[in-house]
Amino acid sequence: MTPQDLKTLLESSFPEARVHLPRVRRLQVHLPQPQVLPALAFLKAQGFGHLSAISCVDWIEENAFELVYHLWSYTYRFHVMVKTRIPRDHPTMPTARQIFRVAQTYERDIHEMFGVRFPGNPRLVPFVLEDWQGPPPMRKDFDTRRFAEEVYGMRSIETELFTRREQPYKGFRKK
Amino acid sequence: MKVQEKPKKSLSNWARGRSLWMIHFCTGCGAMEMPPTMTSRYDMERFGIIPMATPRQADLLLITGYLTVKTLKRVIRTYEQMQDPKWVIGFGSCTLNGGMYWDSYNTIKRLDLYLPVDVYIAGCMPRPEAIIEAFVRLQEGIARGEFDGWRRYRENLAWYRANQAKVMDVNRWGALP
Repeated sequence: MTPQDLKTLLESSFPEARVHLPRVRRLQVHLPQPQVLPALAFLKAQGFGHLSAISCVDWIEENAFELVYHLWSYTYRFHVMVKTRIPRDHPTMPTARQIFRVAQTYERDIHEMFGVRFPGNPRLVPFVLEDWQGPPPMRKDFDTRRFAEEVYGMRSIETELFTRREQPYKGFRKK
Repeated sequence: MKVQEKPKKSLSNWARGRSLWMIHFCTGCGAMEMPPTMTSRYDMERFGIIPMATPRQADLLLITGYLTVKTLKRVIRTYEQMQDPKWVIGFGSCTLNGGMYWDSYNTIKRLDLYLPVDVYIAGCMPRPEAIIEAFVRLQEGIARGEFDGWRRYRENLAWYRANQAKVMDVNRWGALP
């Protein structure tokens, strides 16, 4: 199967899908949110058995998060991206864990970094941010510099490091 | 914070400076400078410093690189397992002021708020010569009885704990999520 074949197949099975071929061996599928999981199951049945990653893009001006499911087929050797947009105010996306088990970890990461909820995923516990108190840090409206100044405190030139009186260093050879 | 007491010169202090057992907590890229420092090219063993595998048998904690909140917890646990007297070297700009992670949301910017750092090595990253100079300076300071970070940590534990509690949940150490 070539990307062109898959394009016709997808367009016949999912009438709302907008399919592009941006580059060689690459296929982009834009879908409304309720059709993503059926499309993933469909693609898995077609031989796209490897979910490489789920990424999230914050389109803050359009008030949407874009979830991108990257699929790869070892048989046909091309890359399919399933894209969907969800509202930024209440970002909710049903879990893809029943189709790809590995999605559990990717969704855990996105839940931590963007605050997207994945109903059905049983393990949305903290991933790399331990004892995190702030808002999800990869959102565009998160001011990382101000957060760092408030929580960690920047070193200024007046801090005690530079004003502490110390004996000058005289080298290691004893006279 | 309490003022440190007057430095005291003593034979035991001199001897302590002459045999430092180092545990290196290699979090970042700075760890790359340690193999040449340890091995035949620069050979820090000629100054009486040798790497050690476990914190309970070491008296010098070398922190090479940036610390996220998650690794900071482990560093503090490592430090508290070491026996007194013990010293800390902050290696590279990341421990000093955040370095290239100066505006990152999850790395600490000043290590001396959470642990008593005796010597900082500036640079991104410091050369082995700079590391050896810091070791020698630390040894001389220990011999003069100047570097007493372990005592400062003990006496000002509440201050350090308050700083640690600002970034992490100090009551949940060791508990896995």
